[in-house]
Amino acid sequence: MDTTNLQQKDIKRGETKMKKIKVVHYINNFFAGVGGEEMAHIEPEIKPGVIGPGISLQNYLGDEYEVVATAICGDSYFGENLSDAKSKIIDMIKIYEPDLFIAGPAFNAGRYGVACGAIAKAVQDELGIPSITGMYIENPGVDMYRKDIYIVETAISAADMRNALPKISNLAKKLANNEEILSPIEDGYIERGIRVNYFHEKRGSDRAVDMLLKKMAGDEYITEYPMPVFDRVKPSMAIKDITKSKIAVVTSGGIVPQGNPDKIESSSATKYGVYSIKDMSTMKPEDFMTIHGGYDRAFVLKNPNLVVPLDVLRDMEKNGEIGELANYFISTTGTGTSTGNAKKFGEDLSKMLIEDKVDAVILTST
Amino acid sequence: MNEIILTNNSKVNDKYKSKFEIEFIEKSGYLNILFEARNMIYQGYRLLTHPMSSSLKPNQTKFRSIILQKNQNNLDTESILMIERAIESAEKFLKFKKTPDWDEKILDDFRTVDMSIIEGVLNRISFFIN
Amino acid sequence: MKLELGKIYIKDIRFGDNTEIKNGTLIINKKELEEFAISDERIKSVTIELARPGESIRIAPVKDVIEPRVKVSGPGCIFPGVMGKVKGVGSGRTHALVGAAVVTVGKIVGFQEGIIDMSGETAKYTPFSETNNICVVMEPVEGLETHDYEQAGRLLGLKVANFIGEVARNIEPDEIVIYDTKPLLEQIKEFPHLPKVGYIHMLQSQGLLHDTYYYGVDAKQILPTLMYPTEIMDGAIISGNCVAPCDKVTTFHHLNNPVIEDLYKRHGKDLNFVTVILTNENVFLMDKERSSDMVAKIVEFLGLDGVIITEEGYGNPDTDLMMNCKKVSDVGTKVVLITDEFPGRDGKSQSLADAVPEADALVSCGQGNIIVNFPKMDKIIGTLEFVETMIGGYEGCLKEDGSIDAELQIIIASTIANGYNKLAAKGY
Repeated sequence: MDTTNLQQKDIKRGETKMKKIKVVHYINNFFAGVGGEEMAHIEPEIKPGVIGPGISLQNYLGDEYEVVATAICGDSYFGENLSDAKSKIIDMIKIYEPDLFIAGPAFNAGRYGVACGAIAKAVQDELGIPSITGMYIENPGVDMYRKDIYIVETAISAADMRNALPKISNLAKKLANNEEILSPIEDGYIERGIRVNYFHEKRGSDRAVDMLLKKMAGDEYITEYPMPVFDRVKPSMAIKDITKSKIAVVTSGGIVPQGNPDKIESSSATKYGVYSIKDMSTMKPEDFMTIHGGYDRAFVLKNPNLVVPLDVLRDMEKNGEIGELANYFISTTGTGTSTGNAKKFGEDLSKMLIEDKVDAVILTST
Repeated sequence: MNEIILTNNSKVNDKYKSKFEIEFIEKSGYLNILFEARNMIYQGYRLLTHPMSSSLKPNQTKFRSIILQKNQNNLDTESILMIERAIESAEKFLKFKKTPDWDEKILDDFRTVDMSIIEGVLNRISFFIN
Repeated sequence: MKLELGKIYIKDIRFGDNTEIKNGTLIINKKELEEFAISDERIKSVTIELARPGESIRIAPVKDVIEPRVKVSGPGCIFPGVMGKVKGVGSGRTHALVGAAVVTVGKIVGFQEGIIDMSGETAKYTPFSETNNICVVMEPVEGLETHDYEQAGRLLGLKVANFIGEVARNIEPDEIVIYDTKPLLEQIKEFPHLPKVGYIHMLQSQGLLHDTYYYGVDAKQILPTLMYPTEIMDGAIISGNCVAPCDKVTTFHHLNNPVIEDLYKRHGKDLNFVTVILTNENVFLMDKERSSDMVAKIVEFLGLDGVIITEEGYGNPDTDLMMNCKKVSDVGTKVVLITDEFPGRDGKSQSLADAVPEADALVSCGQGNIIVNFPKMDKIIGTLEFVETMIGGYEGCLKEDGSIDAELQIIIASTIANGYNKLAAKGY
């Protein structure tokens, strides 16, 4: 129903009818019902009204709000065409002149989370519209965008939709009405890492004594400023004699066989591939390509040896400078890949390398 | 003696150039001195003084003097971590406010304080062999 | 070592014919005090002005703040090794004019410290909006060298504080608090079942305008040492630090160290407050290694169960803080840190210049980078000429009507990293 004329008439009659707060919602190919992974390449588009989870979102937002349009984009398209996708979507959203923008929720879907974060930030920064999204704490979008926009914390899967949407609605309404946003716990969002002053009822030294007593007694205490996370990996022992060692190449530079048979993502990779270089003395551009979304691919497409230095390593193997080169290389995409996933890959593939009696690995990144 | 003073402070240069090796980059700003120190560290030097000395913030004073020493054993990781943190901190302050264009009298005061901070160390350094 | 601290509560100050205390009001003979103060040939002129809580007064640029005290009985004097003989202090009886403060005001270098507002929105950030302040506005003789002027200014404040403190000598205190720390073995025997706690007090020690003195010794030159907590109450530690207003530890704060106060409050009840360990924050990295190694050595040697560590300053001192934290944790003693934060204007960057995983128990004294608005004040003691060059100030921050928009770090002791204030910060 077109409410615009109705409202104009009311205003003309001098009645005070509340104008609805206009909302635009952003979702991906899956939630739009277009399709799964096979449709992740679809280009951005915008449709009036609600689609998919937007229907529930509208219910939770209530009568004073109207989701006037839903923007849709394929996760792969967004990931591989970041600035293009952003500007197209911004242009589409502008027309509706929304007062509020809601993306997702993305739960644990990595590319979707990154897209939600990116588009919410862009809308906020470029259009000055309050923006919000929701995702699971380990979604790579969290670390990338938590400082820039409010990200409501959701559970890991879409089964949490009916808990996530009301939380998102509540915080979204506060943003739209310029209300004071309370602490992360109170308002359900992921801590952004912004330090805010306040007056405590006890002075600092008093609180320090309290904290020390707890710490000495082995009781739980909460630090007022958490240290940055230290992820230290103990280096292994140095190779004694490299001329007798078996070397393998592992890369986060996104080198894959032509056609990307395993469909490794161009960013926020969820998998890695093991590819043969048996009997090859160089990486030929007919055989290999790069799908990495974080650098200019032109040079590497012409010469994949720039990322997997097979040509140089074969020479060294021939000259006895290294013992032996493994018959395969392992590849994934580094950009946007969560540390959680990277850790898992490392644990998996190292088992394989050890079984294959590889002594050392050359890690190439970009 | 393989200590070297890296500085953009003409007062330090004038007073100590006859006694110590000095890398005096007069036109350099605060941040550039930190970058230069980082370059030197990657070439085998290590820090002898803290690169963030003084309570004067990086977007307040433009003078920075740092004492380094040629390291016998390759890269000193402590120095690398320390200089990177100093750069990160300086960039954090400079992000929101550039160092003002002070008049000569105030610049002179900043030079005096910067020199005083490094002097306490210079006067003792000749005792150390290593 | 046992000290009786006699507190005389000062509720008002005014000028009068005689310098004395009458019914809780401190009366100052202006001319007498000015003539007494100027007896240092390096100082050209001294003007005394008064500022009371609630008045529309702004004081700038502030150098130091000192609480007037007098040694009534017991060895030594207030500010030993600086204003008098170097004899060890901290026992006997001392009187303090609580609610009064001597504030030295004047320019030493172009980028001066700090503002104190006696009323308005920004008054709540400094403890000195609640004290009756005797402001000593000084001017150096022409061409006086910076180091000389700093010293002259430092001594001037202490001198005036002592002059005023003298009037408290024969007055019956409103309250007497007894602080008692016994020699180590006795102290441990007194409360054998309570955890042994120490306070590691880091002193600013980098150079001109960045120094602290213990019995007159420049803290750059000390090695970590032990101090009875009561020594500090007689002025064994004085401030020579003048560049970062918000976390400047004034001499007033040394005299009234809050960690020592709050540890004493629980002494004998929840904990056994055994000692203070003094250490420094030198620029020379070898000094930092040496000092932190020795601090940990002392902690282990004394068998402390827990310590609180405070620092003064940002950047270089954060490294000392973390070194001390790590090394003391490594010997098995529990550590709590108190510090302030500088996360940048948007509050999003790293608050500290250094970090170690062992720093898992930290009390925050607030962050100094937020912009606050300082309303216009009717009277200025000192001058606003340097506001724009103070840390936290910037070109254009001083408006024509006398109001200021500047970072919180421009206010004296607003985020002082010893936990004196109630200001804190949390993560949003």
